[in-house]
Formats: sequence, C-alpha cells, structure tokens
Amino acid sequence: MNAPSPTPTKKYDLSFARWVYDNIDGGDRMALCMQCGTCSGSCPIGTQMDHGPRKLFMMIRAGMKEAVLTSNTLWNCVSCYNCVVRCPRKVPVAYILHDLATVAVREGYAEARNSDNARFAKAFWWSAAKYGRTDERLVTGKYYFSFGIGEGYKRGMANLPIAMGMIKTKRMHLGMPHKCSNTGELHKILAKAAEIEARDHGKQG
Amino acid sequence: MTDKQPRSRTIMVVGGGIAGITAAVEAAEAGYDVVMVEKSPTLGGRVAQMNRYFPKLCHPTCGLEINYQRIKKSKRISLFTLSTVAAVKGSAGAYTVTVKTEPRFVKTNCTACGDCGQAAESEIADPFNYGMKTVKAAYLPHTMAFPMRYVVAPEVAKTPEGERIKAACKIGAIDLDDQGSSFELEVGAIVWATGWKPYPAENLTAYRWADLPNVITNVEMERLASPDGPTQGRIVRPSDGAVPKKVALIQCAGSRDLNHLAYCSRICCLASMKHAAYVREQVAEAEVDVYYIDLRAHDKLESFMRRLKADPQVRFVKSKPSRVEPGEGGNPTVCGENTLTREVYARAYDLVVLATGMQASVSEDGRLAGSYDDYGFVFTEGETIGAGVASGPLDVSMSVQSATAAACKAIQVVSGVRG
Ligand SMILES: Cc1cc2nc3c(=O)[nH]c(=O)nc-3n(C[C@H](O)[C@H](O)[C@H](O)COP(=O)(O)OP(=O)(O)OC[C@H]3O[C@@H](n4cnc5c(N)ncnc54)[C@H](O)[C@@H]3O)c2cc1C
Ligand code: SF4
Ligand code: SF4
Repeated sequence: MNAPSPTPTKKYDLSFARWVYDNIDGGDRMALCMQCGTCSGSCPIGTQMDHGPRKLFMMIRAGMKEAVLTSNTLWNCVSCYNCVVRCPRKVPVAYILHDLATVAVREGYAEARNSDNARFAKAFWWSAAKYGRTDERLVTGKYYFSFGIGEGYKRGMANLPIAMGMIKTKRMHLGMPHKCSNTGELHKILAKAAEIEARDHGKQG
Repeated sequence: MTDKQPRSRTIMVVGGGIAGITAAVEAAEAGYDVVMVEKSPTLGGRVAQMNRYFPKLCHPTCGLEINYQRIKKSKRISLFTLSTVAAVKGSAGAYTVTVKTEPRFVKTNCTACGDCGQAAESEIADPFNYGMKTVKAAYLPHTMAFPMRYVVAPEVAKTPEGERIKAACKIGAIDLDDQGSSFELEVGAIVWATGWKPYPAENLTAYRWADLPNVITNVEMERLASPDGPTQGRIVRPSDGAVPKKVALIQCAGSRDLNHLAYCSRICCLASMKHAAYVREQVAEAEVDVYYIDLRAHDKLESFMRRLKADPQVRFVKSKPSRVEPGEGGNPTVCGENTLTREVYARAYDLVVLATGMQASVSEDGRLAGSYDDYGFVFTEGETIGAGVASGPLDVSMSVQSATAAACKAIQVVSGVRG
C-alpha cells in the first residue's frame, strides 16, 4: 500500500473500488461479493454496526470512500471470523475490514484516530513489537493515557481494584516487563517484515 | 470416434429415473435393443418421490404410468433392477460392461399380494421416504413400483423371520438363496442417466438440520405432502405433529456456495414456490416466508412464481440467512440480515424448509462414464453420453429433452454414423 487511496471525483467513481480490489488484503475476492447478507447476519455485533460488511462492500463499489473509511464497521469487527467461514463466495470479510481500518488510520481519519479499538490496537502492538510479549500493565497504561493525562489517571484509578485482585491471584506481575529472549532479533524480523510489506502489499499471486 | 462398424447395436441405459426411462423407450421405439440398469428395486427415480411437479402441479403417477406402459409394450427393453455397472471395458461400438446385481430374494412370479409383508415383523428405514418412516422387512418400494414386485431386506433374509416370510408366500415367489449376480454384457453405446441426490443437509451446520427436528429439507417436504408419504400427505411438524402456521423456506441451502455446491441447482427456487403452494393449500392461515439471494425461475416458469408473489401470505425476504437457532417450543429461529432494509432479524417459525440442491450421484461410482465437468456431472463429449440430471441440474421437462437427445446420440453411435 504505497500510494494513498484515490479520492472519488464524482458520485459513483470506480477508482476507489478498483484501488480496494488491488490494494486491500482479500480485496480481489471482494469483487465476487453477491450481496447475500450472510456476513452481516452472522456478525455477533452486527446490530451495532452502522453499515455491516455487506453494505460496506456495496459502498466501496459505489466509490463512497469517505463514508467507507469513517464507518464504525471497520472498528466494531471483533474478529470472530463467522463471516469468513460462512461467506458463500469465500470473501475474507474480516481481513478486508482490518486492512481498511489500517488505511483509515494511516490516512488520518478522525473516526479512526478516536476509535477505542485503534487506540488499544496501537498500545498492544507497541508492547508486542518492543518486548515480543504483551505486558498487561504497559498495554492498559498506554491505552488509558492515549485519552490524555487526566482521563488516563481517572481510568487507571477506576480499574485499580481489578489490578490488585489480578496481582493477588498472580494474573498480573510486578517488576520488569516480560520479554522474549532476543528482542534484538525480533526487531530485525519486524523491520524486514515492514520492508516487505511496503514493497509487496496488495500484490496478488 | 470410430470408423469401424460397431460390434454391438445394443444401447445400455444406466439409471431408470425419468431421463433413463425416456432414453430407453425412445431408443427402443426407434428399433434398437436396450438394456436398462437401475440401482434401486424400481424405476421412477426421484420423480416418483415427489408429491406433485411443476409447472402444472401434476401427480408424478401419470407421467410415469404412461412410460411404464411404453416399456411393457416394447419387446426390446430388458431391465435389471438392484443393479449397477461395476466396470466398463472397450470403446464406443464395442463395450463390455460388467453388471452387478444385488439379491431381491423375490422372483418374477411375485403378484404383489403382500402376504410376505404381513408376515414380516422387523422394520427397516424406508429409503423411499428418506428414512422419515420405516417399512416392513418385506416391502413394495412404493405404490408406483415398476416392476411391481416385493423386496425382502437382506437384513432378515438369512434369519428365521426370513423363513416365516418365505412360508407366507403362497405361490413360492421367495428365494432366500438368491445370491445376486455379476455378469458381462456387450453393448454399443452407454447412456448415463444416474440422476442426482440431495446435497447432504448435515453439511450445512449453521442451519442445524441434524439436531433441530423442525428443520427439514425440500425433499422431505415432498414426502410430507405426498398422500403415500409418512403423514399421508398432511404437512405437520416432525417434533409434535402440529400443523405449522409460520413456515420459512431457505433458498440456496448448499447451492451457489463455494463451501458446498458452487453452482445454482436451478430447480429449487421453483420447488420452493411449489412448497409455498402446498402449505397455503392445506393451511388457510399459514404464512410462508421465502428467504432468497435472488429468485431464479428458469425457462417459462416465471408465471408460476408470479402466482405465489400475488399471495399476501407469502412474503419474500431478500437475504441468505446466516444461521438457524433453537427457539422456544421447538420453534427454529431464522437469523440474518434483510439486504433491502438492513434489518438484522431473528424470527421464530414452526417449520423451516431448506431448499437443498442437487448433486450428481454418478461421480462416486468410479467415474465410469469417462468425461465429467468440474462439478461431477457427466459431460457429453466424445464417447460419453449423459442424460437428465446426471448431466447437470435440470427439471423434468428438460431432463426428458436431454434424454431424447442422448437416445439420438446413442443410436448414431450404434449405427456407425457418428464420428
Ligand atoms: C425438492 C425438489 C423438487 C423438485 N420438483 C420438481 C418439479 O416439481 N418439477 C420438475 O420438473 N422437476 C422437479 N425437480 C427436479 C427433478 O427431480 C429432476 O428433474 C428429475 O428427478 C430428473 O430425473 P433423472 O432421471 O435425471 O434423475 P433421477 O430421478 O435421480 O433418477 C436417476 C435414477 O438412476 C438410478 N441410479 C443412480 N445411480 C445409479 C447407478 N450407479 N447405477 C444404476 N442406477 C443408478 C437412481 O436409483 C434413479 O432411479 C425437483 C427437484 C428437487 C430437489
Ligand atoms: S457473505 Fe460474502 S457474498 Fe455474502 S454479502 Fe458478505 S461478503 Fe458478500
Ligand atoms: S434455483 Fe434458486 S434456490 Fe436453487 S440454487 Fe438457484 S438460486 Fe438458489
């Protein structure tokens, strides 16, 4: 995904649809969607999505880039994979939503920036990439403080009893963060992966 | 194909459904000898298992009866029931076919008086009714059986019950020593008319056919509605025998689905229109919801669909349901998204009918026909001749047309004019 996604110039503009087919993980299969509704009906939180995957895919075809990249459907997906398993056209629905979410973040949409899921995903990835492990305290801390210092403190305090309980039952530890044995190697692997992604992302075959 | 003169002018027809019967009588009436090989104890195939058939909602009996008369009149057709093709050697004009026959334990002098059935005590699952009821271990496959001869189930043949069944037959038609047989035949052409089987509903795990009794398939619906079916034609819920007031029909159950059958089975939309009509005829207050991706009334049958669309108690919901869940009182709940309104619904029904598709039945029989398409249907090319649903999803009238075409090709092969 080197080039940013094109902005449609007219009401029904295929350029965004074509860009999605070519650049989004599973986008080529999305072209085969037959609008049956299985995905949106299978979703455990389908009623809380503004559009749901089926309609979102139609909106992509119609070139409605803004509406697609600001949709809460991208953020409400809980990765249960019901839709992926059931889609009669083998469209990898969840992968497409995840990749579109990444695009929305990268292209700076406020809805994406402000979404709880994006904040949490960033905190999670920060810990995983740095230590090779997720540390509960660091992930939650980073997530809470992404809302600002005051709000972070408030949230942390509100959850303190839970944290204490977890420490008592050895579900959370004190001391240095958990780490994998060779973080240096991990960072090299991730750098290489980023390089490959920048080069090959969305390439088919 | 062949420049040589064919060695045999006999045409073999494998499968005795409406397509096989048609191919056989057409060829025989044109003056060719025909050998029919049918796996079950009777001719008629899936058509015999239907209550009525579109477009005119006629009873299958009339169409079959006329054809049985044509077979009886013809001196050129030999019929082997309970038989399958085990091997095919040679090529067009000179095939050697190995036919394997399972024992029926009942000889040709059976008059179908039914005394043996009276004597039988054990019951076996009734294949004619898709196991929805049982039959006595000495049984007539169905009321329209051809040949009209009883069958003794192999399960009891070698038991004391078998002896009692044998003793009950006054004309001595029962032969418990029947071993079946295997024999070779020389034929010049083979028409594959082995038809279809319902796509297994248990594979559609999200629709819960296997564990919710009030989720049934369309072929089961045909039997429920049939006067000679498990309920004498009364459409009732399997769980408690109640008359269903709210019925859901789910289209494309296993068809047009890359996880199941990739193709459109072509007849199930119209079969469901028929099922809506069955329910509405029997239950005045019944409401029927048809869940569909798109409705496909092939050929000239759009008018049949329009008739149902005019009924205010038949509702059409554009949605492929995502799943069926158990509900209160044995009512299955159909869940999904209405794609026109974007409503995410969960609706309870008394009865849910899955419009399961048609799968080729021949592909698992050793692929003896030679040439098949990607979906396992017989592909007519070169020496391979398919007829009816063995060659693709067709309705009865299209099956008959394809069978006539197949008979014509077979005649060309055995008279050496093709190639
Ligand atoms: C629910 C439902 C409802 C339908 N309703 C209608 C309708 O209303 N109107 C309509 O026009 N069509 C209808 N159809 C379609 C109709 O059933 C088919 O068009 C018809 O059965 C095709 O006949 P056939 O002879 O090709 O196959 P079949 O009826 O399947 O006959 C094949 C025969 O071959 C035999 N056989 C199978 N394998 C072997 C073997 N290896 N060796 C020897 N014999 C073998 C079988 O025992 C059977 O007797 C319906 C289908 C479904 C699923
Ligand atoms: S389940 Fe698949 S084919 Fe159906 S609407 Fe969703 S993506 Fe499209
Ligand atoms: S005929 Fe109708 S129900 Fe059957 S597969 Fe085709 S579209 Fe689906």
